[in-house]
Amino acid sequence: MRELTSTPIFRDDVAALVAPTIRVTTRPRLAMLASLRLTLAVLLALAAGIIVSHAIADANVWWVAGPLVVGAVNLGAAIAFNQSFRRQTPLLAFHIALLALVVLLAWGRLSFFRGQVELAEGETFAGDMAQIASVRQGPLHVGNLSDVKFVNDGFSIRYAPGLRRAETQNRVRVGPALEARVIGDSEPLIAEGYRFYTSFNKGFALTFTWIPADGSVPVRGAVHLPSYPIHEFEQAMEWTPPGMREPIWCLLRFDKEPLDETREAFFQKPASDVRHDVVLRAGTARHELTAGQSQPFAEGVLRYEGLSTWMGYQVFYDWTIPWLLASCLMAVLCLAWHFARAFRANPWDAPSP
Amino acid sequence: MNTPVTIEGLALWGGLLCYVAGGTLSIIDCVFDRRWHHRVAVVLLMGSVLHALAIGLRWERVGHGPFITMFEILSSNIWSLAAIFLVFYRLIPAVRPSSVVVMPILFMMMGWLLVSNPAAGHFPPTYRTAWLFVHVAFGKLFLGSVLLGVGLSGAVLLRRAGVGWKPLQALPGQAQISALAFRFVVVGFIFESLMLVAGAIWAQDAWGRYWAWDPLETWAFLTWLLVALFLHARVSMRLSETSAAVTVLAIFVVAFLTFFGVPFVSLSPHKGAV
Repeated sequence: MRELTSTPIFRDDVAALVAPTIRVTTRPRLAMLASLRLTLAVLLALAAGIIVSHAIADANVWWVAGPLVVGAVNLGAAIAFNQSFRRQTPLLAFHIALLALVVLLAWGRLSFFRGQVELAEGETFAGDMAQIASVRQGPLHVGNLSDVKFVNDGFSIRYAPGLRRAETQNRVRVGPALEARVIGDSEPLIAEGYRFYTSFNKGFALTFTWIPADGSVPVRGAVHLPSYPIHEFEQAMEWTPPGMREPIWCLLRFDKEPLDETREAFFQKPASDVRHDVVLRAGTARHELTAGQSQPFAEGVLRYEGLSTWMGYQVFYDWTIPWLLASCLMAVLCLAWHFARAFRANPWDAPSP
Repeated sequence: MNTPVTIEGLALWGGLLCYVAGGTLSIIDCVFDRRWHHRVAVVLLMGSVLHALAIGLRWERVGHGPFITMFEILSSNIWSLAAIFLVFYRLIPAVRPSSVVVMPILFMMMGWLLVSNPAAGHFPPTYRTAWLFVHVAFGKLFLGSVLLGVGLSGAVLLRRAGVGWKPLQALPGQAQISALAFRFVVVGFIFESLMLVAGAIWAQDAWGRYWAWDPLETWAFLTWLLVALFLHARVSMRLSETSAAVTVLAIFVVAFLTFFGVPFVSLSPHKGAV
């Protein structure tokens, strides 16, 4: 084993403290991995990768991941072999925190979970994966989603004049004891590490009971109409009751729009005196129902129970979040500590060496 | 009914005029060596107080802080940049000649402010969090620190170009001024890191993700990378004072475009912008 010593000439006080002598006692290849010039190349490559990823819609993930992997190797090698870190604890701690950050980010990508769930008022999320749509998850995701249980007890969303969405208050009951809580903007529901966020995606739900003609058990369910008020003129949805051959098209009509855009308004489950009806179309037949009315079909009877709302929740899981935060704060703190020490030891206006 | 707006407008105009007067005095002071430092500081302080009054009155009138429209963002940044510059103008005499670089930047921002639409914007519900204040405060400290670095780097470049104004020439050596500029950039780097962390905490609570590579996040991170590159290059490549000064200017340009440009070139900046 031979000793490699480089003694660069630095022109400022800070540089002299940051890397007075990079003394690497190992094989040349490992020394190259710990090189500050490689760090520069990694930073440049990462910047280029980010720009490419930003500019090209479906750019390969390795544009960013590649430099991060090389950067992690570079950081690891520097921590292991760069002797100047041994003398500068804050600088060493800063680089360890950075390495931890990169490792946690990678781990987070491998174990994250993301999805969307829509719940009508009164509906329960029972931890069933079948209730979650648009699922994206890392290959190493392990979680206790099946232990998560909550009920959507309805929401109230304030709209400022001009239909500008303001505060969202969503009442939920959580856990085995169904403890009541209010969630909303910046206040997700957190259960078993899964975070459920209310979203702008919410609307009206038509509650029906389907009574099959063959005498089997009636089914009660809600048809979620398109998001409201963004699709206020498209409040229709097609739906096929169990056992029916063709779908039923449902349209919600109000006598008066529930949200008045000229004044402050609240989007919530309409009061029972809000006049509305539902237009059903099955094949060429057209029917109009108000709450409590039924419509017979060959395969069964459809009873319109009333109008409700549904809320779209974003589901997110990443166990690394608190550790990422801790790593970031440690990195910043150590960097500040390092430079504070360096600056205190060398006044900026001291004569050049 | 119009009284609050009138007082607010007067305070804003008064503040801007004081900035222009103080800035002009500081430039004359540097070019002609008038030794008007105290006068400059007093006029800039008056500007800062009047401008703060204008921002406060607007805050009271529209019901939220200066976080939404370009008018508000420009106004609050002019205030913070001027205040940070004023503090160091008083504390470190070597910073004073850099007003010939800093003040024209502030003048440009003031001109932009005056042609911006002053109408109030909608305050989104996800902005009702303390993290907004933390995120924005760190951002302002970052930009202010880098602006000080830019001023000093400008002084380095002016001297290198042979500009012979006496206060410029009376500054310590190029290496020392460059080292001071470096220190301001380092401080800015720490604040920018904290800004990114605070923004990520806010984004996680507000939108269910701590990072989404939206245009502002992307450019803020590119700015961070550029500063990190600068810090490393300073160590590993023995940058000359001139190269370091040019790099600091480049950092400021990217940071400035991130703060004020991305909302104009992207249809989907993140919700921290316009």
